[in-house]
Amino acid sequence: MTVESGAAVPRRNSRRGTAFRDAGPPVALVVIFSVFAVLSPQFRSIDNVQNIVDAAAVLAVVTCGITFVLMMGSIDLSAAGVMGASALTVSLLVANNRNDNDFGLVGIAAAVVLGCAFGCLSGLALVLLKVPSFMATLGVSAIGLGVATLMFAGVQPNISDAMLKSWAIERFLGLSYLTWIAAACILLGWLVQRYTRLGRYAFAIGGAEEVLTLSGVKVKPYKVAVFTLAGAFYGLGGVMVTSQLGAGLVQAGNGYDFSAITAAVVGGTLLTGGRGGILHSAVGVVLVMVLTNGLVQVGVSPYWQGGVEGLIVVAAVAAAVIPQRRRNQVVK
Amino acid sequence: MRIAFRPTAALISLSLAAAALAGCSEQAAGDGDPAAAGACKPADVKLVGQVRNESNPYEASWLAGGDAFAKSVGLTQQRLTYGGDSTKQQEQISQILAGDTKCLVMNVLPNGDSDTAPIVKGADKAGAFLVTQWNKPADLNPADYKTWISHITYNGVESGKQIGDALAKSIGGSGGIIALQGVLDTAAAKDRFAGLQASLKENSGVQLLDQQTANFSRAEALTVTKTLLTKHGDKVKGIWAANDDMALGALEALQQAGRAGKVAVVGIDAVPDAVTAVQSGAMTATVSSDGTWQGGIGLAIGFCVATGKLEVKDIAADNRAFFAEQFLITKDNAADFAQPKTNPSDFDCANVFKRVAGPLK
Repeated sequence: MTVESGAAVPRRNSRRGTAFRDAGPPVALVVIFSVFAVLSPQFRSIDNVQNIVDAAAVLAVVTCGITFVLMMGSIDLSAAGVMGASALTVSLLVANNRNDNDFGLVGIAAAVVLGCAFGCLSGLALVLLKVPSFMATLGVSAIGLGVATLMFAGVQPNISDAMLKSWAIERFLGLSYLTWIAAACILLGWLVQRYTRLGRYAFAIGGAEEVLTLSGVKVKPYKVAVFTLAGAFYGLGGVMVTSQLGAGLVQAGNGYDFSAITAAVVGGTLLTGGRGGILHSAVGVVLVMVLTNGLVQVGVSPYWQGGVEGLIVVAAVAAAVIPQRRRNQVVK
Repeated sequence: MRIAFRPTAALISLSLAAAALAGCSEQAAGDGDPAAAGACKPADVKLVGQVRNESNPYEASWLAGGDAFAKSVGLTQQRLTYGGDSTKQQEQISQILAGDTKCLVMNVLPNGDSDTAPIVKGADKAGAFLVTQWNKPADLNPADYKTWISHITYNGVESGKQIGDALAKSIGGSGGIIALQGVLDTAAAKDRFAGLQASLKENSGVQLLDQQTANFSRAEALTVTKTLLTKHGDKVKGIWAANDDMALGALEALQQAGRAGKVAVVGIDAVPDAVTAVQSGAMTATVSSDGTWQGGIGLAIGFCVATGKLEVKDIAADNRAFFAEQFLITKDNAADFAQPKTNPSDFDCANVFKRVAGPLK
């Protein structure tokens, strides 16, 4: 690594600013991980590292979705509702104790498509009705929870579909299938962000929407598409929670909206848009999971944990964004 | 101008009408309270059941119990849900109280302790018969009000201890356990955990390895349990959870860690999935407050008073605010609880206080 960077000095020079900015969150991750590893032998055990990565799977998928929206400079609070609706949908479509359906993969696909539809709804409300994304997605979240409650109808659907259940239990190379699905999502998200017009424009809209408009790009369809893509990730997230819990819960997505935003921001994606990305967010997700796991492993009292966790998150974000503080004006 | 005027006029006349109505009903209630209490024909009674939401099995069974009682007296229950939002709950209550309150019976689950006072005051002023459950501040007592008939709650210390003892018994009286606490600043979480601590005192062989909060949530319990299992490994023989949702999350975690069936799990609330798990042996025990009974009994007590079969002044002081009986469910009796059902005789006016386990202190 050192030899390589020595050789690449002239080319790197021009990009040093970017590299310096991006280094914050990974450094914070390494520091926090090392501190916990020193404090607790259980924390650094292979079992626990597997556990952390497995626990990060759902949050990683949801964060993939929210990252695209944040890059665009919008915000998305619909994850909780969309995940609830998708969790109920998938649990009622695969083999379960409520009805005789057994659609397997088709049921899973249907739940993801439902997530797309909700995302599309948020996007349309944003561009056609000019509802700020904050309110539009909050509304869509409420709709999702409403739909989920209707499908719930008083009796929790427990899934008996062998494939969906195996996602959380079966392992490949020491990690659960869900973790591999999350890894695939991160890869897919990165490819979309890096190589497609959608990903490129999402960045550009967040950076300088006026410039894009002036150069003749119609941004509205891209905005709707970004929300739709995010919805697909939330839909998949709902399916994954269902696999983990073995049941379709209206509350499947509880708290994921804000955890995902936290993870994305901790990873270095700015709420103002135009900076960050999928890989940043992935680092943020792992950082958040290391934190929650580590505090339990070193034995911090549960009465203190919430506060301590919040403090470390704020400190990590502050450390990560100091180099770019001028741009981090979310609410002025 | 003219267009603007009409809605204004309509608004004024509507609010006048509402004020007049409210005045009437207040007057009716105030006229002669004993007479008003007994004057309701059973068919004139209006039954209202209010809970947070229908998206969890417990509160769904509560409303089902209310429906069952209403059907048994030839009425229907008006079902209200407020989504855990205190403001919305108060709005719904004021709307109901703004209507005809002469023979109104309400069975209410206040969102939190502080939400009880305005509900009680509103109902008292309107002369509506009210039974509250679970939450009330300690200094607010039904005995000080005419139409707030009873407050029903459950002794969390006792249920926490019951499952603690059941857990100790099932792991043979010795070994390590972990505890999953509820939302730490709620009375339910505090009382239930105090019960566990009382149980630990008596079962000195059982060691509490760790306690963490999973906020009553199935998903959080899954993650926390997995973490604690890697932290304490095979030392974990049992898991004490402050509610069934967390117990079910812990079961999933055990399955994913390949330790299903090797660790005993207990919870509280007797949600249907937990009862099934107890029946199949996957879970060791849970405690039932009998949600269907709760949904029916509040309306039954109110109905008895409204129709004059019970007089508020005849109700013993200990029955105005009480702990209701709760049931430990183990494999032996799980089948009886598998189908939530109501027993019509529980709701006979002579039996409505049969399940009083002790006065609320």
